[in-house]
Order: sequence, then C-alpha cells, then structure tokens
Amino acid sequence: MNDGKIPHIKSVETRHLEEREALFRGLHNLDRRAFLKISTGAAAAAVAAGVNYPFHSFLPISVAYADDRPGFNFAYISDSHLYVKAKNERFIRQLLRAVDDVNALDPQPDFVLYGGDLAQLGRKEELDVGAQVLKSLKAPVHMMAGEHDWFYDMGHRWNELFGPETYSFDHKGVHFVVLMSVQEKDFWTARGMSPAERMHTVAGLDNAVQSAFEVGAAQREWLRKDLEKVSKSTPLIVFSHSPLYKLYRPWNFWTDDAEDVQALLQPFDHVTVLHGHTHQVLTNRIGHIQFHGMLSTAWPWPYAPQGLPALTVQMNRPNPFDVSDGLGDGSATVHPDGLVDKLYSLWNRNPMQVKASYLSSGGKSDIPVPPTLSSY
Amino acid sequence: MNQSGRARTPRIAALLGLAMAASASIAEPVPPTGPHGAMALDAQQKRLNQLVTASTAPPPGIDPVAWASIYVPPGNELTADRIALGRKLYFDVRLSKDGTVACATCHDASRGFTDQRNVSEGIGDHLGRRSSPTTMNAALFQSMFWDGRAVTLEDQAKLPILNPIEMGHPDAASAMAGIAADPAYPGLFQKAYGRAPNYDDLGRAIASFERTLIFLDAPFDHFAAGDTKAISPAAQRGLALFNGKARCVSCHMINSSNPLGTDNLFHNIGVSARKQNFEALAQQALGALKDGSDVDALDKLALQTDMSELGRFIVSRKRGDIGAFKTEQLRNVGITAPYMHDGSLRTLWDVLDHYNKGGETNPYLDGGIEPLNLSEDEINDVVAFLFTLTDTRFAAQNEAAMRSQQAQAAKKRPFRDNALAHREVLPFEQRVLGPAGLK
Amino acid sequence: MKKTASLALLLLAAMVQARADDSVAPPHSPAGAPGSNTVKLCDNKTTVQISKDAPKTHAEGQKISDALMAQWQAKNPDKDWVKEEVEAHQVVTPEDNSKLVGTGQSSTYGAVSQQDVQVWNNETYKMAVYGSTVFHSGDELGSDIAVSCDMCHPRAANTHPETYPKFQPQLGRVALLRDMINWCIEHPVRGKVLAPDDPKMRALEAYILAQRKGVPLDYGKR
Repeated sequence: MNDGKIPHIKSVETRHLEEREALFRGLHNLDRRAFLKISTGAAAAAVAAGVNYPFHSFLPISVAYADDRPGFNFAYISDSHLYVKAKNERFIRQLLRAVDDVNALDPQPDFVLYGGDLAQLGRKEELDVGAQVLKSLKAPVHMMAGEHDWFYDMGHRWNELFGPETYSFDHKGVHFVVLMSVQEKDFWTARGMSPAERMHTVAGLDNAVQSAFEVGAAQREWLRKDLEKVSKSTPLIVFSHSPLYKLYRPWNFWTDDAEDVQALLQPFDHVTVLHGHTHQVLTNRIGHIQFHGMLSTAWPWPYAPQGLPALTVQMNRPNPFDVSDGLGDGSATVHPDGLVDKLYSLWNRNPMQVKASYLSSGGKSDIPVPPTLSSY
Repeated sequence: MNQSGRARTPRIAALLGLAMAASASIAEPVPPTGPHGAMALDAQQKRLNQLVTASTAPPPGIDPVAWASIYVPPGNELTADRIALGRKLYFDVRLSKDGTVACATCHDASRGFTDQRNVSEGIGDHLGRRSSPTTMNAALFQSMFWDGRAVTLEDQAKLPILNPIEMGHPDAASAMAGIAADPAYPGLFQKAYGRAPNYDDLGRAIASFERTLIFLDAPFDHFAAGDTKAISPAAQRGLALFNGKARCVSCHMINSSNPLGTDNLFHNIGVSARKQNFEALAQQALGALKDGSDVDALDKLALQTDMSELGRFIVSRKRGDIGAFKTEQLRNVGITAPYMHDGSLRTLWDVLDHYNKGGETNPYLDGGIEPLNLSEDEINDVVAFLFTLTDTRFAAQNEAAMRSQQAQAAKKRPFRDNALAHREVLPFEQRVLGPAGLK
Repeated sequence: MKKTASLALLLLAAMVQARADDSVAPPHSPAGAPGSNTVKLCDNKTTVQISKDAPKTHAEGQKISDALMAQWQAKNPDKDWVKEEVEAHQVVTPEDNSKLVGTGQSSTYGAVSQQDVQVWNNETYKMAVYGSTVFHSGDELGSDIAVSCDMCHPRAANTHPETYPKFQPQLGRVALLRDMINWCIEHPVRGKVLAPDDPKMRALEAYILAQRKGVPLDYGKR
C-alpha cells in the first residue's frame, strides 16, 4: 500500500470549509485583484501539500459574473453549422442548448448577436431550421452571415430570411456595425464548379483552393460612409464573421483587407470587434482596437500553429470524449465608455471572462482566469 | 414496440445463468431483519466470516498495481489488530445516539454492503438525501461520498456518526462515551494504536477494516484473463458496446490497474434535474456566488436539504460541477441496486434507459452525455455484461438480483423514452420550441 | 499526369496482388458468383470477379489491376486525384532521399538509383494524400452525420500522433493512434470503425503522421 501522499490527517471536509470561510471572509475587504491572488495562493498551498485532488481550487467564479459598473449586456451564439435534422441532429441539439442558455439569462440581454455560420452547407433547409430555432430566443436577434451560410446560393436564402448582410444600428449610445467579412474572389467560374462544389470548397477550413476572406472595396466604401456621420467619441462595436486581422492564412483565420478596415476604425476612441469563425477563446489588440472571438456551438478548433496573439489566454484543449467540450455561448457587457467585457460561457467548464481593462492595460491587469479543467 | 426486447430477455438470462451457475456461491437463507431493515448484526458477521478473512495480505484477484495505489495515511498501516478493532466498531450500534444504527445498518454485508434502499434511514427513522454506496472496494476510490467531500476512508468514517440524521452523536466525545461501556475497547485500541480510545483512531480502525472489503473476483476478470467462456456471448457483445457505441467506458473505464470502473470524477448526468426545483436551486446558488458578500448565505442554503442536489458544486463551488456526482464503481453493480445518488433507478435496465435517452436534459448536463440510439437487444447485452462484474462469492445473490430486476423491468420501464433515445426528438428541443418541436 | 497514373497503377497492382495472394475478398464486397472472388478497388466501388482457380502469379495480379484501373478510368476520365487533393489540402511531402542516389555497396547490386528514390517518394506521398482524401470526407469515413476529421483537426492539427502509444483514460487502456482514430470515427463522426489493416485506416495514419514530420517521438506523453 501507498504511504505519504497526503501528509496530514485532519478532516478534509473540515479543512475545506475552514479555508473557504477564511477566503470569503477576506473577500469583504479585498478588491478583485487581491482576491485573485489569495485564491491562487490557496490553490498553490494545496499543491504544495501534495493534495492530488482538485479540492481547494477556490478560483472565484464570482469574478466571471460580478461587475458593479452600469452598462448593458448582449448575448451571443455563433457558428452552429447546421445540417438538416435527418442528416445530423447533434448540431441542432447544440444550438438548441445555446438558445436554452440565453433564454435562461436573468436579466435578459438587450439583444442576441448571431455570429454567422448558422448553416453548414448554405442550403435553404439548413438556414430554415436555424431560423426556426433562433425565433424562439426571447431577446431580439441581430444576424451576421458566415461563409457557410453564403456560398451555395451567394446569400440568396440568407437575405430572404434575415435581410441585408451589411448594416449598422445604434443602441444606448453605441454605434454597432455588422460586416460581411467573408467575401471571396471568384475561384469557381474558371474551375467550372457547381454551387455545391463551390460551397463544399469554402466549407473546408484547410481547403487551399478557395481565396482569402475579405470585406471588399464596395463594403469598405459603405463602411467609410456609414462612419462619416458618427462622432469619433461615439463607442464603436463591429461584428465580423472572420477576425478583422491576419492570424493564420492556411485556415483562413484571416481577413485579406484587414489593414484597410482597421484604418477606417482606428480614428475612433473606443473600438471593439467581435468575430466568429475561430471557434475558441481568442483575444487581440491592434492599436486601440480590441478583438474578441466567439465560441462555436458545433465543434471547437485547435489553436493555429502560428500567429496566435500574445494577449490570448487559451482555453483548455477540448476533450474528444465529450462532444460538447470547448463549445458554448456567451455574452458581452458594454460599459458606458463603450468598452466590452467579454464572457465565454463554456459548457461544463467555468466561464472565462476577458475584460476590457485586461486589453487596455496590454495584459497587465485583470488577467483572465484560465479554465482549471485538466487536459486529457 | 417493445415486445421484441422483452421476448429476448429470457434467452439472455439463460445465457447468463449458465455462466453464473458454474461458480460456487454462498447459501442464501432469508436474512433475519433488525432495526431499519438491516440483517441482524450477528447474522451479518457470520456472513462476513464466509466472505473474507481478516488478513493484511493483498486480497485475491487484485492487481498489484491497484493494491499499491490504495492510499493509506501514515500511521495507519494495515495490521490485524486495527482490522479487528475496525470490524468490531463497524458492527457497533452504540456509535449511534439511539443505539439502533451501526455502519453495518446501511452497509449491510447481506445486501452488497449497502442497504438497497433509495435513500438511507438513520436514527429516529430520519431519511437522508442520498443512497448509501457500497463499502466494498471503497478503499480504491480517490474520494469518498457522492460529492467527494472526504478524501480518505479515515475522514469519511467519522462523519456519519456525527450527522444528525444518520447516527446522530452531537460530537466526538459523545460517540466515544457511547462505546465506553464496552470494557473490551481500551485493550483493543491499545493493541491497535498504542494509546487510549480516541475518535481519530476510531476512524482509522474502521478505515482499516474497510480496506479488507475487496471484491474484485468476477466472471469479467476471468474473461479478461483469457477464459473466453467465463461470460456469455450476450455479455461479450455487451462489453463491446460498453467500450464502443454505448460510450460507458468514457467514465467507467475498467481494467486490472483501475478495477473499479470509475474515472473518479464528477458528472452531471441529469439525475438531479428530475427534481422540480433543481434549476431554481442552481440559479439561487449561482446568484449567491455572483454577489461575493452573500457567500455566507450560500453556506446556509447548502444546509437546506434540497441544496444537496447540486452535488459536487456544494464542495467545489464551480459552475461546471452543478448537479455533478461521483462516477460510482461498477464492481458488484448487480447486487447494489437501486442506482444513482438518490437511488432513483431501480434496475440496470432503468440505468441503460436513462443513458440511452441522453440523461435528463438540464443546462449543466455533461457534454459527453448524448442519446445513444441503443436497441432493446443492445440494452439487454450491456445489462448482461454489467451482471458479470459481480464477485463470484455473490454469484447466487447476483443471479437472484438479475431475475428480480428482469421481472421489474418487464413490468415497468419508467425511464425509457425511445423518441429521445433514437434521436427523433432532441434534448432541449421541447424546452426551447415547446411541444410542437422542430418543423 | 501520365506518370501519376502509371504510379497509381503500381500501387493498385501491389494492393491487388496482396489480395490475390490471400485469396480473400475484401470484407464488404458483394457476394460474387460461385467459384469466384471479388476484388475491390480502393474507391470501395469498382470491383472485378476473378476465378478461384486463377493462378496466383504476378502476371495474373497485373491483369486484375489493369481491369480495375480500366474501369476506374472509364468512370473518371481526366481525373488526377493526387493533384486534385494536393491542390485543395496541402500534404507534407516525405523525405526525398535523393542524397542516397549513387550510394550502395560499391557494386551495381544494391545501388540506389534516381528511379528508386522517385518510386519511394511517390508511393509514400500518395498514401498520405489518399489519407488526406479520407480525412476530409464524411462520405469516405462512412459518417452518418456528414462529419469529417478536418472539422476539428484542420491539417491534422491537435492529433499528436507522436504521443502514441499512451494510456487513454477515457478508453481505459493504452491506445495506439488507430484506436483514437477509431474512437473518433465511431463517436464524433458516427461512422463504422475500420479494421486496423483497412486501407483507409492505413492511409489515415499515413496522412496524420506525415503532417507531423520532424516532430520527435514522445510516446506516453499526455
């Protein structure tokens, strides 16, 4: 038998309760950073004591929720990649789960952003089932298109269901812009591709036959005009399906004219970009533009082998034995200054919050707490 | 729709029966009943004598790696004296305030070292909130209780004695006073630990005794060791399903170095979600955490009985642990019904029905749980396999349990939902879209 | 194009020869006429019937191979699957070994020629490329839900073939890469598991390993 793994015999239950009591008593007089420090300390002490069990990890989930500043919230769901139910019911179930999550939020968010790639292969039937599910969201929905929605009929059914793919709106003093950032140059005509072949090519993340995503000149011109009427001090929040920067071209984690779009955004004092497509916790800052990825409800992507922004605190590698791991939905808290605290609600894990102050400080303060789930 | 499944079960029973009949087993007189429905304690002790010898040597059938992995706190190395003291304490009703409950009341040697009740009955006929797990092989667990709040058997053993609705002593001194009337104890404690009786040594001694309750010699082990006839063809098909389509192995991995068939982790499979107020409780608990100043309130809430349905969350305070309970061992599962932390599933068919439909849908459901699309034949095969995990010393009991479960399952399958299991209706579908569901 | 086709022929010839030697029809082949065996092309569709009494010689194998290839080319005129696959999905090329040309044991016997190196290289590459087609196709994987490997593992990212064998707790045993591939095929992909020597399994392993070229072996790593 084995000796010496746990060098104490005091009821673990008692010890646990004592430690927690001390921690939370201390909490009354602490700011959040100090709280974090103590929590981490308790975890470290448990490790030092040789406790093999994830017992004393008082990683404060309250951090992920608590915020006393005024502002408003919106929720997001993204990248559901639906097939028709007869072909694949799992992805529909996972979208249903996300809608159930968002409908349970109390208070309800001001609106829900759908981040694109509602369908997997852009078929009418796929978009229709997605539209039916999203209709049951209690809060109003703002739709964004992704490449999987688009390249079968070049957005025809999507536009019929959801209206124009490029638009802007104002909400509580914030100017919101929704772009269609996954335009592609024509690679299909010369190859004589059918719509289905074109869609199938774009649907493969690592398919090199397709061209790079771009916002395109026409839409950039629209954006320039749209922003003309907005004062530079108005907070700006941009939704794009692809990240509006260049991360990793082989997987199209990329927008080819990102610099041109960024140049239109940089003059504004407070700019945040939320994007889909990357299916992971992803954080970046370029100039003072803050970028956040969104989680998928269908499947998680690994991190790209190159180009990962230094500010990204990675989520754990998803467990392939849990078909929902690394997936989820989330929300954003918009502060009066227009900056955004981004919440990733990972199913079955603790939520991860990436605060605006973390990005503003260049990663020095409010460092996100990574998930504590062990790797597999 | 279910006729074919029912019609097939007798065949499987026959196949299983063949395998079982081959092994000798202990005669099974009707157990005399004591307080709280347990077998009389002296009769239990006789039964125990037939099952185990008080030895510090590795029990038969255990892999040396598994034996070496059993954690023993320093100062409580296994000795015959400690086992003997622990055994006496295990059967001593004076450890309960009213003298009606011993460890063996809820961990009854004649009933698979559990009480085979939904939830356990303590002093004053108080009912607890959780189903008593078996003490067999408990030594191999990495944590104790359904929520894992104790790491060692030593810690675990001391807690029910002081629990107001289990054994009900107000404190350790009261428990020690309870056994002081027995003049044998001071000598036994002296021999075991070299000092006068005290509560920590009491916990240590009970833990020592429990470390001898190793029952890992099952037909499955003989099959794994190469005896292809040790389990029936149905059980062999069930094993393949267990490792494949039915996905059991993801949490219940079972092999000689990890013989229990548990990942020692905590999962929300939705058992709590059947209770009406589960989601409201979860919201209430998360709300208390959200506002850091109200954490004391959460402690108070946790004392309310219903909060225990949040399971591991009450210990870890992690959102991902809401409604999560420890993965129970699969060893001797045939004779330790009912199942799950609240004993809500009566038979292994119910268990398979529960998993087949993807558990009970709730916002905290473990993502590895999804509808399995198992057919009735496949369910029968997996159940047949599960009955091969019972130690050969309980072969007769196992066979009787199987026949009884089969009869119950033939009458009633309360957790069967073929529309969900076969993915015609999706989990979350009706919660989100109402009864009409997807177009 | 021509060269690729002829190399493809070589590969097929080798496969078919192995089948002919074993006198065993592939597991999923339709029942052939009595007294004959069915030989199937690796597209899993094209088949020929061969007599059970056919001599098991190289020449006979070549005949079978030619018959299969002719059928396939009739169905797929102008198809160069290697080129097409590589255009869509970059596949890491194998070690080219050309520095070995001219080396040997100081005699003609055993010397390495340019052609040797080319054959090794092309055949090896083609196996990985075939793996890429399976990896990227829910249909090839037999998925009931149109899911393919690349959906979670673009360019075989996060597959870590160099860490096998390792104890995989969720399988409760030591797993080889193929065990993990089969778990993924059965669960996330919802297809039918492949036999360890199934050409698709061999090709999947080849593709996944190819993408990690140069990474040191580190078996058991978690």
